Order: sequence, then structure tokens, then C-alpha cells
Amino acid sequence: MSIEVLDPTYGGGANAFALAGRLASLEGKTVGIISNGKRGTRPFFASLEKYLKQAGAARVVWHTKANYSAPAEASITADVKNWDAAFVGIGD
Amino acid sequence: MELASERFLLDGIVAAQEFYHSRKWTDGLPVVPPTAEAVEKCLEWAMLPPDHLVGIEPVRARRITAEKLAINSVMAGCLPMHFPVVVTAFTAMLREPFLLHGATASTGGCAILIVVNGPIRQELGMDGTFNALGSSDRATTTIGRAVRLALYNLLDVRPGDVDRSTLGHPGKISYCLAEDEENSPWLPLAEERDIPQHASAVTVMSAGAPRQLMNEWTTEPEQILDTFCAEIKASMRHYSIYPGNYAIVVPPQLRTHFTNAGWSKADIRQYVFENAKIYRREWADCGKGAVVGSRGDTEYQALSEPDDLLVIAAGGPAGGFGAVIPPWFGPKSKACTVAIGACVDCEIQ
Repeated sequence: MSIEVLDPTYGGGANAFALAGRLASLEGKTVGIISNGKRGTRPFFASLEKYLKQAGAARVVWHTKANYSAPAEASITADVKNWDAAFVGIGD
Repeated sequence: MELASERFLLDGIVAAQEFYHSRKWTDGLPVVPPTAEAVEKCLEWAMLPPDHLVGIEPVRARRITAEKLAINSVMAGCLPMHFPVVVTAFTAMLREPFLLHGATASTGGCAILIVVNGPIRQELGMDGTFNALGSSDRATTTIGRAVRLALYNLLDVRPGDVDRSTLGHPGKISYCLAEDEENSPWLPLAEERDIPQHASAVTVMSAGAPRQLMNEWTTEPEQILDTFCAEIKASMRHYSIYPGNYAIVVPPQLRTHFTNAGWSKADIRQYVFENAKIYRREWADCGKGAVVGSRGDTEYQALSEPDDLLVIAAGGPAGGFGAVIPPWFGPKSKACTVAIGACVDCEIQ
């Protein structure tokens, strides 16, 4: 006997966020880094900063979240508009 | 009643199981197929329209509707009468201090502990006695599972997706208990957290696995609580030193000693507040000397304030056991308590 059932998922409109456009080059660009504040991110992002500058980035801006489990504070997100690219994500 | 969710016509109940498993819409256990009729009964019981907005998850901006919660509740095995508890639990979880996204995405692997107070426990047959922390009855098991399935399907909190837990714990399947108010002279947890007397309510906490303890060899409240404190301090040493919401579950045998000595829950909270503390240097005793740093003589308390301890009366009648339920991670997530709503438009009998 057939049975009609319902979709339990969030469904339509789930992709509320979209990736930013990709840069063709880092030359002369400002790149932001948002660290979650965990210890392991410091050497990781320090190495990343060196790499970015070698690749031509004019400026690398660091921010560290106050709570690594929560979204970035408004003061950080307000600064994002001044950047050409950003590194965000998780890290231990 | 018009439901908005997509419908699928399947070849019977067995096919429905495989359909839901194949889409990762369940937790590995079978589900009750969520038919429109079953979902509508949940919504009718709670007197909520399908598009009722329970809340918005703040990080991913997802609108949690009553219809979707009802679908997941049916799948988990809930009866319509269980549904208001699920709605209230989610309402509490969506409060900003609960930090739902962080708690459910963290590698720390906590689960959502749901504590139910008030007359609804008896209406639903929720049993806060035998096996209180181990799925003691139909209502607690299915309500806890409904919350988990809703996290799966509405916020993608599946293992390896948003759920990044390194280990997790069995409470993720279902972590719900009812306080044993009938056998306790103490104020119910919800009432202590500003819910009016005789109202039903749900408290949620981002919680690690319960850690069972035993002390059958004293009747002194201080000594019993020293055992609870030892377990809390062990968690501070082995896991996280930072203060947060801890819960302790006190079954009748130990409860008797407190009540005979005239100790209230407030007395218990104060004692634990004053005694559950360690020095940072103690980390060196358990292999974490590398992060003691220059603050070895700094003392850390488990609780920022006495009210951060949730004291829950629950458990079977015999046995000098108790349990400590540690927080997910320090103060990041705050336990939240919400009353189970009453319809303001309902006709008074």
C-alpha cells in the first residue's frame, strides 16, 4: 500500500550565503584574516601572512574573535568592507 | 490546514524507511513516516498554524517553522501531545545566550540536555525515576530524539556536516529527562529559574555526557557534595577549567540525606559554588603542564555564580548514586528555560 510522506528538511532558500567573487591576483590587495582565537591559529595564520605578502598582497589585516564558537563581532564584520579578500574558518 | 512541505508518494512503510535513510534524514534508527495527517494532528494539538515561526537560527538565518518541527517530531515517534515540549525546547535553544550554532557545530561534541518540569510531565507519562538518564519512557525518548532530528534536517547538524564533533556522546540520540517533583520537597528546577509555580517548562543545556558517582557511606550533606565536587573538579582538570552551567542529578537515596538535614537546592548550589574549584597548576598532574603557563597559582571556580548549577531531582529509589553533567565548554552557552506556552486565544472551559 502506498504512503505519502513529507520532506523534513529546511528546503528552499537554504543557501542564504554566496561565495564572494574570486580575485585574479593578490597584487596590491588588502587581505583580512579572522582568527577564531585558538592557539593553533597563530602560527598557521602567521605563515599564511608571509605567503600572502610574498604573493603580492599590500596589506594583511588580522582580527581575532572574542568567542571562537560565536560569529564575529560587529566591529570585525564592519571592517570587512575595507578588504579585497578574507580568510575565515575554523582552526584548532 | 495547508502544509507547505514537499510530498513524496512511496511504496509502503518499508520503502519509506529506506527513502529517509538514503537521504540522511534520520539518525540511523527507523522513523515513523510523517504523513500529512500525523503532522496536522501535532499542529492541531499545539494550536499552531503550519507557518508559525518558532524562531530564527541567528547564524544561518534559518526560519524554524512549526510545520517542520512537527514533521521531525512525528518521525522521532512523538505523539501530538508531546509536540508542545519539542516546540518549547527549540524556542529555548534559539535564544541567543544558548549559542546553538556553536554548541551543535563544535568539535567538543555536546548534546542538548532537555529537562521538563511541571504538570505536563504527568500528562505525558514522563518518568523521572528509574533509569532517568537512560530513556526512561516513551515521551522523554521521543522528545529528545525529535530535537536531534530537527537539528539534522533543519540546520544540517549531521555528523561531518555542521556537526563537527570529534567523539560526541550517546546523549545525542536523545537527552531528555523529567524532574521527579512528586518525590522531592525541593523547588522544581524551572520554578527556581523564574517560571511561575504550577506552570510547565523546559530547560535546555549544552551538555556533555553524564558522569555517574557513588557515595553510600555517609549521610552528611557536605560529604555527599564533596563527591559531586570531586567529579566536577575532575572535569575541570581533564576537560575544561572554565566556569559554566553544570547540572547535578540527585536521586532519592541521596536526596533523603539532604532533606533530613534541611538542605534546599539553594544550599547545595552555594556549597558547590564555594568548593568546586581547582588551581591551574593541577593541569600539570594530568598531562597538561604545557598550558599552565604563569598562572599556576590562579584558582578557577566551576561556577561563576551559584545559580549556574542546575540541581535536578531524578532517579530510581534505591542506590547512593548521583550524576554530574558538565557543560559543553565553559560559559559559551547558557542554559535557557522557557515556559510551555498557553494559547491566549483559547476558549476558557
